[in-house]
Amino acid sequence: MAVIFETGGIYRRLIGAHLRSQMQHKVSFVLRTLGTFAANFFDFAGIAVLFGRIPQLSGWSLPEVALLYGISSLCFATAELFGGALDNFDTVILQGTFDRVLLRPLDALFQVLTEEFALRRLGRMAQGGLVLGIALAQLPVSWTAGKVLFLAISLVSGTALFLGIFVLGAAYCFWIVQGKEATHVVTYGGDFMSNYPMDIYSHWLKRFATFVLPIGFVSYYPSLYLLERSDPFGLPDWFRLMGPVAAAAVCLAAWCAWRGGVSQYQSTGS
Amino acid sequence: MRLYWEVAKRAFQRQLAYRTANLAGLTTNAFFGYVRAAVFVAAFTAQGEISGYDLRAAITYTWITQALIMVVMLWGWWDVAATITTGQVVSDLSKPFSYLGFWLARDVGRALYFLMFRAGPIMLVGELLFDLRWPRSSDVWLCFAGSLVLANLVSFGCRFLINLSAFWLTDAKGVGALVFTSIYFLSGLVVPLRLLPEGIQAVALALPFAGILQTPADVFLERVMGAELVTAVALQAFWAMALLVLSQVTLLAATRRLVVQGG
Repeated sequence: MAVIFETGGIYRRLIGAHLRSQMQHKVSFVLRTLGTFAANFFDFAGIAVLFGRIPQLSGWSLPEVALLYGISSLCFATAELFGGALDNFDTVILQGTFDRVLLRPLDALFQVLTEEFALRRLGRMAQGGLVLGIALAQLPVSWTAGKVLFLAISLVSGTALFLGIFVLGAAYCFWIVQGKEATHVVTYGGDFMSNYPMDIYSHWLKRFATFVLPIGFVSYYPSLYLLERSDPFGLPDWFRLMGPVAAAAVCLAAWCAWRGGVSQYQSTGS
Repeated sequence: MRLYWEVAKRAFQRQLAYRTANLAGLTTNAFFGYVRAAVFVAAFTAQGEISGYDLRAAITYTWITQALIMVVMLWGWWDVAATITTGQVVSDLSKPFSYLGFWLARDVGRALYFLMFRAGPIMLVGELLFDLRWPRSSDVWLCFAGSLVLANLVSFGCRFLINLSAFWLTDAKGVGALVFTSIYFLSGLVVPLRLLPEGIQAVALALPFAGILQTPADVFLERVMGAELVTAVALQAFWAMALLVLSQVTLLAATRRLVVQGG
């Protein structure tokens, strides 16, 4: 217990330092937050523009797609707020600063996570939350206590799933340090594909996003449950509730990959 | 002229060093191309044509725009701003060449690299996964080549101006991020601008940013032909000239300011 409190204290102090430094340039902070809000606003605007020309996409209406988008965007932005430093992990390895991390008496992953805490990502969270709110207000969902609880759990497990994917992406750098951009297929790409119903993808991608890297559990399967839609792949009804299990599996795999990477890390040499 | 040729050649060769990085970027661009195309396939099941594009044209639109992202360097580009912040710009400015020409030559070399090693392969992947629509005559290819050159000039002009703002603003990236974000949408990457509601569409198509992706894609797809084609490319040429002149004027204003600060 004492260890957890101590680590929590260090985390608060490190993040607090990041926040104070970002607040030194308030205009810059406001502009960047607006920038991240706008970038994602345009992404959703693209979907809305498309729906101006078509009534529905694979049987999904605009508010229904907005639900997918809102959940995915909010989860991804939250994961990025806490794990954004992982996306720059290749430079940590390339510059040799990871050696310094390993010398300190604190968990390596914990140290890397606290390297960055970009508050501008609140702009993206706000955008995702806004779209989610509008979608929920427009959809004729018959709310029960169970569904409210399920939505809350889904948001947490979706965030955990994306965080796990970020850790996997960082672990990839232990083996292939050039070409970090390929991991964007599952990070940014995972968020992007979660904006749309999985019905539109090919069979292999659906299977991959369900059984291999279960990105479908971020927004698609939870939305099937909330909207009481039938599963076009004919999977049993309980399957769509498995988001937390999927997230736990991804996080476990990510932790193993990270540990494996750290143990065989040999520094960059010169 | 010889100097700029050498600068462009070096910029091209510099990129050759990043083979793995290019392969990784290629994978990402192709994945987004696939997802965007899948959205269009689903959208077209109910109707045969949207805003003058049929399914094949719409799929090709997603792949050609995805292929050109790195050629026109749509994401953040801060090379010039970085030299301004570090002060290296002073030594660059004192060298006996056109500062604008130097950076333009570098950008041309970079763009050529990405045209050969990024755009080409991505179009091949697109062709393997989907049946793309290719230009049907050499005239179209020729117009496309011209439009692509202009697209790069327009894109370079926008990027150069954003970077020059670092002379005046301590946080050019903050302001620049907002502009890059708008370009991302107004270039036609997210959705073809022709899908926008009529009024907004006319404005969006008249802005310089449409010349970065929308116009070359429309030329490639023969979505614009005849008089419409001439107008679209002429507008691109106008914006390219205007932005380059504005860049040069801004640069002069900035150097005058730099001299005042110096010493």
